Amino acid sequence: MFDFLIHGFDVALSPLNIGLAVLGALLGTLFGSLPGIGPINGIAILMPLAYTLGLPAESALILLAAIYTGAEYGGRMSSILLNVPGDAGAVMTTLDGHPLAKKGLAGPALGLSAISSFVGATIAIIGLTLFAPLLAEVAVMFGPAEFFALMVFAFASMSVMMGKDPIKTAIGAVLGVLIGTVGVDSSTGVLRYTFDLPELYDGIDFVVMIIGLFAISEILLMLEHANRKDGNDGLPPLGRVFVSLKEVVACKWTMGRSGLIGFIIGILPGTGASVAGAVAYTTEKRLSDKDNSFGTGNMRGLAAPEAANNASAAGSFVPMLTLGIPGSGTTAVLLGALMLYNITPGPMMFSERPEVAGGLIASLYIGNIVLLALNLPLAGVFARVLTIPRWVLVPGIAILAFVGVFQLHSNLAAIYLMLIIGIFGYLLRKLGFSLAPVILGYVLGGLMEQNLRRALSISGGDLGILWQSGISLGLWIAAFALLVLPWLLPKLLQAKTRKA
Amino acid sequence: MKLAADRLLGIVLIGLAAFVAVQAMQLEVPFSYDPVGPRAFPLGLAIILAVLSCVLIVKPGSNETWPGRQLGMKLLLVLATLLVYALLFTKLGFIITSLLAVTSLSRIFGASWGKALLTGGLMAVVSYFLFTHALGISLPSGYWVEPLL
Repeated sequence: MFDFLIHGFDVALSPLNIGLAVLGALLGTLFGSLPGIGPINGIAILMPLAYTLGLPAESALILLAAIYTGAEYGGRMSSILLNVPGDAGAVMTTLDGHPLAKKGLAGPALGLSAISSFVGATIAIIGLTLFAPLLAEVAVMFGPAEFFALMVFAFASMSVMMGKDPIKTAIGAVLGVLIGTVGVDSSTGVLRYTFDLPELYDGIDFVVMIIGLFAISEILLMLEHANRKDGNDGLPPLGRVFVSLKEVVACKWTMGRSGLIGFIIGILPGTGASVAGAVAYTTEKRLSDKDNSFGTGNMRGLAAPEAANNASAAGSFVPMLTLGIPGSGTTAVLLGALMLYNITPGPMMFSERPEVAGGLIASLYIGNIVLLALNLPLAGVFARVLTIPRWVLVPGIAILAFVGVFQLHSNLAAIYLMLIIGIFGYLLRKLGFSLAPVILGYVLGGLMEQNLRRALSISGGDLGILWQSGISLGLWIAAFALLVLPWLLPKLLQAKTRKA
Repeated sequence: MKLAADRLLGIVLIGLAAFVAVQAMQLEVPFSYDPVGPRAFPLGLAIILAVLSCVLIVKPGSNETWPGRQLGMKLLLVLATLLVYALLFTKLGFIITSLLAVTSLSRIFGASWGKALLTGGLMAVVSYFLFTHALGISLPSGYWVEPLL
């Protein structure tokens, strides 16, 4: 059963792949530490690099996954030191992390969060190793109808869990799917929404989409903070550098529980690090906040979200590797990256491309250890990254974006398209949309249509096939329940209390 | 004010849905064994989008604050810089255009002229050699350089 893992370690322990895991961990932590740049932006900006290096699929994935997990580590820097969460997943880290820094315990806080991240990620990676092959075995039985139902479920779960406004999340996902329909229709050869522009015949390119949507819109958004003082007015002193063993041991159950919570939440499609961090924090507050010190610099209040958000990052690989359905916006980007290599992740990947699935999982173990080794002694160095002024950061991102798109396409049309998508992304963010559903819709939409049409050609056009099997019917019911319950439950409860 | 933005968005999105639907209906589909064809999926999306937009118009959500005049000007400046960067990228070559773009962006993001020019020069030259020599990416050197080489 664990053949894939042994094979995976063979792949991951090659000098090239170890080097890439270290490089990715370093770059990821650096990018994650940069103010305002979360994992998804980091991967978007660095992804073209993976292609430029001409890496094989498994190596590219190892590099990108290391950047992802590294960025989750890096996100805590600005949360703890500046009270500015680097991305949505790090919001809960600010609650107790920043008060600790203000007490002069920034060093121990960084140390503890690195250890919590390590513990959380380790729990989740072990979970991934045990759980993914099992799920893949079940998923082999999935036909196109089941996959279609699964994607409907994924979108339903995403609308409810992701972001604060379900309607906008759903609209974002639909817009993403629509962007994905541009280009030639693979089964009939009909051109859709290309407006007779030859540049659009192949559809809107993945790299152009990612860089435009995340990097360019980020540049525009950063303008608002251009005049705000960031790290320049001085970081809080780190205090003593190492966290004591006693403090770590005091948090051991917190880390364990939160890691488990993070892993389970990470598996659910559409629910990422932000939900995991919030659930772990509130659970821990209920369980162990005896003297009401959560929010004032409690070590446990810091350990809980940190363990959970790193665990959810590893957990979100489960649906991506076994079902081909990403669990978060960032894994959607990784999925798209794999598709550029003509690999469609899914249940067959464990048997057909074990070097990719196993190599990735094995490299997560290695990357996790590398990250701990980098982050404990180098916390002070990474903290310096926060003081990079935006007038250096922004032009740097612009150059990386231009070069990334240009070297893949060697034409200017792609760059103009990138700028247009960037403006579109900026407007969406200003209108209160989150971008993760858009990218999930864009990545999943094509697969969704393919599966729908495949299912209906099997049945000769009879819609009944979509909910014929037990699995697909169950998924439809689950999706429906997810959409209706949050709206129905409060009303039912209200009715009950009124009666009583 | 913030309510109006979401209502307007809803109307725009309904327009988009209608456009998507009309375009889908106009597709000329050759005979195929695919009973669904390329029309149905976009049509379904257009319907979902229209319904969601109606909900948005009835129940608008919250927006971020929109940039004021000063910020709006800067935003346009950034976009103009990026557009000019793209326009001249292949014509003047990577080094010159990057120097201009980086200097301009640095200035907009609050650097002094001296710092901006220094950042521009360093970043353009260092990244050119990093990309072309260390990573093997071919970047446009520009028409003006070629006769010199």
